[in-house]
Amino acid sequence: MHGGRPSPHEYIADPGLAEVGDRRIRYSERSMPLLTALSRRFSADRPFDGMTVAACLHVTAETAVLARLLRAGGAQVALAASNPLSTQDDVAAALAASDGVAVFARAGVDRRTYYEHISLALGADGAQGPDLVIDDGGDMVNTLHTERVDVLPRVRGGCEGTTTGVLRLRRMAAEGALAFPVIAASDTPVKRLVDNTHGTGQSVIDGLLRASGILLAGKVVVVAGFGSCGVGIAESARSLGARVLITEVDPVRALDAVLRGFRVLTLAEAAPLGEVFITATGSAEVITAEHMARMRDGAILANAGHFDVEIDVRELHALAVAVQPDVRPHMDAFELPDGRRLLLLAEGRVVNLVAADGHPPEVMDLVFGIEALALEWLAGNAGKLSPDVHPVPPDIDAEAARLVLAALGAEIDTLTPAQRAYLASWQLGS
Amino acid sequence: MSTEPYKVADISLADFGRKEIQLAEHEMPGLMSVRAEYAESQPLRGARITGSLHMTIQTAVLIETLIALGAQVRWASCNIFSTQDHAAAAVAVGPDGTPDDPKGIPVFAWKGETLEEYWWCTEQALTWPGGEAPNMILDDGGDATLFVHKGAEYEAAGAVPSPAEDDSEEWRVILDRLRNSLADTPGKWTKAAQTIKGVTEETTTGVHRLYDMAKAGTLKFPAINVNDSVTKSKFDNKYGCRHSLVDGINRGTDVLIGGKVALVCGYGDVGKGCAESLRGQGARVIITEIDPICALQAAMDGYQVTTLEDILPQVDIFVTATGNKDIITADHMSRMKHQAIVGNIGHFDNEIDMAGLAAIPGIKRINVKPQVDEWVFPDGHTIIVLSEGRLLNLGNATGHPSFVMSNSFTNQVMAQIEIFTKLEQYPIGVYTLPKHLDEKVARLHLDALGVNLTVLSKEQADYIGVPVEGPYKPDHYRY
Repeated sequence: MHGGRPSPHEYIADPGLAEVGDRRIRYSERSMPLLTALSRRFSADRPFDGMTVAACLHVTAETAVLARLLRAGGAQVALAASNPLSTQDDVAAALAASDGVAVFARAGVDRRTYYEHISLALGADGAQGPDLVIDDGGDMVNTLHTERVDVLPRVRGGCEGTTTGVLRLRRMAAEGALAFPVIAASDTPVKRLVDNTHGTGQSVIDGLLRASGILLAGKVVVVAGFGSCGVGIAESARSLGARVLITEVDPVRALDAVLRGFRVLTLAEAAPLGEVFITATGSAEVITAEHMARMRDGAILANAGHFDVEIDVRELHALAVAVQPDVRPHMDAFELPDGRRLLLLAEGRVVNLVAADGHPPEVMDLVFGIEALALEWLAGNAGKLSPDVHPVPPDIDAEAARLVLAALGAEIDTLTPAQRAYLASWQLGS
Repeated sequence: MSTEPYKVADISLADFGRKEIQLAEHEMPGLMSVRAEYAESQPLRGARITGSLHMTIQTAVLIETLIALGAQVRWASCNIFSTQDHAAAAVAVGPDGTPDDPKGIPVFAWKGETLEEYWWCTEQALTWPGGEAPNMILDDGGDATLFVHKGAEYEAAGAVPSPAEDDSEEWRVILDRLRNSLADTPGKWTKAAQTIKGVTEETTTGVHRLYDMAKAGTLKFPAINVNDSVTKSKFDNKYGCRHSLVDGINRGTDVLIGGKVALVCGYGDVGKGCAESLRGQGARVIITEIDPICALQAAMDGYQVTTLEDILPQVDIFVTATGNKDIITADHMSRMKHQAIVGNIGHFDNEIDMAGLAAIPGIKRINVKPQVDEWVFPDGHTIIVLSEGRLLNLGNATGHPSFVMSNSFTNQVMAQIEIFTKLEQYPIGVYTLPKHLDEKVARLHLDALGVNLTVLSKEQADYIGVPVEGPYKPDHYRY
């Protein structure tokens, strides 16, 4: 454990929830075949012996399975939440009760406490700090480079799981500000497919339905952003009978949307048409007062992007003459001067995590499996890498897919030597 | 009137036809199962069936199924353009004959008949050797039934009336044929009407005629409405059109459908199939409807529903599937996007106002290829009209695929057996096939698709009040 640390229970909501949390972690574990397979391997190989891993992740049952995996691989683990609202307190309690895992996460903390928790997960003042970090959105890496430069020298490398975080890290690297190599785990083909498209596609709709209770069939749903998340959200909404409109800034993504039969238009055009708006851009100020002013009465606003900056919530507050909080759990009604009401879900924060359970464990299994494999690789190879953002080595990505396929009972073919020779040759034609 | 053994366009096409028939047999598991099931019992032995139905490859498989069940068959097509000449040749030659020594059935059909030829063919199919009359009719559109009824009616009246001033050309042709017949073989149609046990009717149009005759008390024998079997109308309309609409658009235009805005007018069974296939190709599909129930269905399926007027300037592909007339007017076409594609998949050619289009002053028609015309408006913009506004899935592609027709035609065979063997249960009137036969038709197609059907336990069947072996649904069930 990190020296001089107060009692392990000081930074969680309620240690009494540990048993409930443990049951949920075990339940998730059953749907996480990749981490289960890796757990067997890490227990034998102990790749993290003597190391500390600091993680800033949504504190959910799936994250707990990852934390236990790293622990099984020999690491001391410190975990802070990567979102002030997404912490599952029972999971935090269960993890805190395990040996060798320090948890700093409570649902609903304010901004100051949120960052305090991240700092604490990096070790108390004067402590050695972590060897490896796993981040989700970039707040931990950012804290390391600003508030906690004291522990920066020890950090060998890290892993970032979200697109948003990777964008931040690339900007840091471009300015020469990044002090250690980071593997961009958000950027693997397998992760984009499973996490963004399939995972987010399902869970954002889940969050929307839980928070709003609406029937999607027949509704006009505007999805802002047709990246790998937006694709999944749009297809998923369409499969439930919604008429989906897309807004984009990238002509290539927009063309893909059009060729899939979606109508693409500007958000200004879409504003008066939509009954549900979902932002999935990774950008900021996507839905602004200008749009809100022209929306239909009862329009629902939800954000699927990592940060709460895609829907301009401050402008919505400024625009409203009355706010009725929690008309349903995670739904606030904003009354505009002309009597229209706009319904904001999850305070504009990432709706699948706040209003639903985030990604199903199968998705997080893959994401975390790639990150665990990347960390294992970093533990041995970080010294060979420049302090920059690096892609996940392709064989790690393929290994993750292979292990998941094996768990799902899907067998695949292997290229024959003749096929390999054909594919490698430029001389062989028809 | 002399009879010929058969009349087709080119008997030497029989080999090609036979190859296609053999391919179709594999895709028509219902008919092939029926052949196997009734090989011994020969329920149609003694049946003399006159068929009036599009003489296509799929119909050839139907004809040879009827023969396999013991029937004698004579055939004509029910449309002047719909005969596939290689199918007609193969049916005339038969599986065991050669073009030099044909051993098939008397078939009278070729693509591109005149109206005179068409009705001559129909009469040939109704005229059996040795002065015998048919004892069953298998009809599509009701022309064979009409001919017998009108013949008997005029024989009773003693004369064929003269055509009225405003009678159609086709009606004059029919009256001429009957006038010759009455002079040649008096009493022929009265005898036929008495001999015919019943008719099985394939399509909506023919079914309408039958219900009209039944209501007027002029129907002379019982009829089974095959059209309204679930395994006929749903399959023809929804799955058949879902297949052949996009096929027709692709063959006609070869445009990429993905990304286009496609308007489907009408969201009945045909419209539902069309919309689904266009969406499957990546089109953004918009629906027009007049029926609030169908409109709501479209909206709940995620389609934008609006009026033609409202959406017209945005649409790349127009498809009419309403069963109504005057859907797309010349004025609409004059305001469409440049090179918009316009096609109809409704039964008749009056959904798109082709006469109005041709009458626009200064308009030019450029034939791109058969069934594809580019119409150039005076302002320079053009539209592409498929199949001259007639059924584009038939005009630009090959209509329903064999598997769909296997469902329709297995219903036909069931209906023929039903009337021929259980006539006492069918006093003169119009009937739909009993539900257990509808279910049987479906059942006969499951194996070919690898479907494993779950079987009700006795307790489960009792719980919902149905027999274990069906029928499972009340007659009013909508599927």
